[in-house]
Amino acid sequence: MLPPRGGAASTRDPRRTPQEYETESSRGGPGSPPSPRQNVRKNLAFEPLSTTALILEDRPANLPAKPAEEAQKHRQQYEEMVAQAKKKELKEAQKRRKQQEQRCKLEESIGTAVQIWNQDILPNWTTLCTSRRVRDLWWQGVPPSVRGKVWSLAVGNELNITHGTVENPSLWSELYNICLARAKEKWKSLPTPTSNTEPEDVGSSDRESSLELIKLDISRTFPHLCIFQQGGPYHDVLHSVLGAYTCYRPDVGYVQGMSFIAAVLILNLETADAFIAFSNLLNKPCQMAFFRVDHSLMLTYFAAFEVFFEENLPKLFAHFKKNNLTPDIYLIDWIFTLYSKSLPLDLACRVWDVFCRDGEEFLFRTALGLLHLYREALQCMDFIQMAQLLTRLPDLVPGDRLFQHIAAVHMTGRAGKWPQVLQTLQRDQERSSPVLKR
Amino acid sequence: MQNSHRKEHLYKILVIGDLGVGKTSIIKRYVHHNFSPNYRATIGVDFALKVLNWDQETVRLQLWDIAGQERFGNMTRVYYREAMGAFIVFDVTRPASFEAITKWKEDLDAKLTLANGKNVATVLLANKCDQGRDVLTNNGIKMEQFCQENGFVGWFETSAKENINIDEAANCLVKHIIASEKDMLQSEVSDTISPQLEKNGGGTCSSCFRSHHVLHP
Repeated sequence: MLPPRGGAASTRDPRRTPQEYETESSRGGPGSPPSPRQNVRKNLAFEPLSTTALILEDRPANLPAKPAEEAQKHRQQYEEMVAQAKKKELKEAQKRRKQQEQRCKLEESIGTAVQIWNQDILPNWTTLCTSRRVRDLWWQGVPPSVRGKVWSLAVGNELNITHGTVENPSLWSELYNICLARAKEKWKSLPTPTSNTEPEDVGSSDRESSLELIKLDISRTFPHLCIFQQGGPYHDVLHSVLGAYTCYRPDVGYVQGMSFIAAVLILNLETADAFIAFSNLLNKPCQMAFFRVDHSLMLTYFAAFEVFFEENLPKLFAHFKKNNLTPDIYLIDWIFTLYSKSLPLDLACRVWDVFCRDGEEFLFRTALGLLHLYREALQCMDFIQMAQLLTRLPDLVPGDRLFQHIAAVHMTGRAGKWPQVLQTLQRDQERSSPVLKR
Repeated sequence: MQNSHRKEHLYKILVIGDLGVGKTSIIKRYVHHNFSPNYRATIGVDFALKVLNWDQETVRLQLWDIAGQERFGNMTRVYYREAMGAFIVFDVTRPASFEAITKWKEDLDAKLTLANGKNVATVLLANKCDQGRDVLTNNGIKMEQFCQENGFVGWFETSAKENINIDEAANCLVKHIIASEKDMLQSEVSDTISPQLEKNGGGTCSSCFRSHHVLHP
């Protein structure tokens, strides 16, 4: 049992009983006659060390002494306090032990999982990644140390961006280097204050160039982590990955939300691998629709989402309708940042794990899981309260509970599964989400 | 908004302007009375609610903090619907963000009008004024003229960081919203009496044009 630090008695010698101090500090000094508290002192000699923080002091010398009766009462109260403190300490020690055990268990299970992923699954990726066993393990969350590898494999490299070799994994991607060099050239040539204000067609090109927008956004990416901000260890890396991407895909450019996605990848992958995963991830149909701000296709996605919303949560769906709360209001942030801005980072990574496994469908399933999790609270809220809750989720979204709620969401409805529903809606563009009608 | 007999008003207010000019910071300062240099970029739209006591009535301001990247324009314009007022914000240290102001204003006016066909009350905010002054806003006469030409009901040099002029700007906007609402109700149906706001708040408000450095030409 450890004595508490920084308590009232922390500077005192813990081997001495309170009364020893008391005697010294009392009026009589060390030579005064023995106090009537001898018996108390005897008992206290066996108290746990930490309770020395509780000290029964004599009244200051400039005040009249306590009556014997009162002194006795106080002694008794003091002893009770000491006993209680001792009991509390024991309880806390037990709790600590339990937590320690749980932590050990968790570490052990993570350790086992890491082993399974590294030795079994990753070497046999193509054959195992669709197996039931791996999919189940995947759902539990990928251990952080293998996360990057799993994401890379799952996202794939359809774009065939040149890659470092197995022998030399740190070798940077050639394409990445070329794009980065180009971005750096452009940065150099940027006049500090730009005033090119002629683009007439709103929407196709941004007033300020992508490279400038990146600068503005980097320090606003996970600011609480203090690693992407000016002077932080990953500031330049994030800058480089985003800059290289805008040179690789000038047709897409930089769009807000990208900085969050790139940051999460950088936290889990080597820079060049992060660039490859980033480019391939954004190349998926859903991400392309959103980052190119293809409005009608986005509306199709929202409409598909609403099909499953209505089937899974009819009452809440009606409530949202009544309050005119359309899915774009909360989905835009969630989809553009893949939940990395709105959920705690570790939980967001768990969502990414399964997103890598299940694809875009899981992003919308997660949204339904969140609505499911907060359905009771939402049901009693008005528009602004709901909008505020959903655009700024509580700091502590319970991860395990969220995943339970996500699991409870059915993604096979009357109109079929997600891809079918989406396809039908895409084909039938006239059928639209309420967003179009307004 | 229509229940004028109850002494409560709900106004939807848009906060728009280029990326990174401080829209979220202004709202946080106004609603939560604090400032952090570390706000995350807004994606889509964020919300805040501010409740004011206004001449023995309650005014609820529903603030729509809209992402500034122009690319989002197509999808965020739907959020203009039913707004009663707007702040258009620029960053005094970034001239490009000022040059964008007319575009934001034109866009707003093109996509949003009140029931009587008028434009919604809009206040211009020259934010980050704590970070050294800029030639543009140092010239009060020019700004005044700019506001009149572009249909702003007023302009303020603001600093969310130092809490400069945020409340003043909001009060100016609310005053004009109430005035325009009264205006609308009067012009609407003449046989309905609107027992609302008999206070002085009609028409234009010259004091709002006057921010702290007033120079009438």
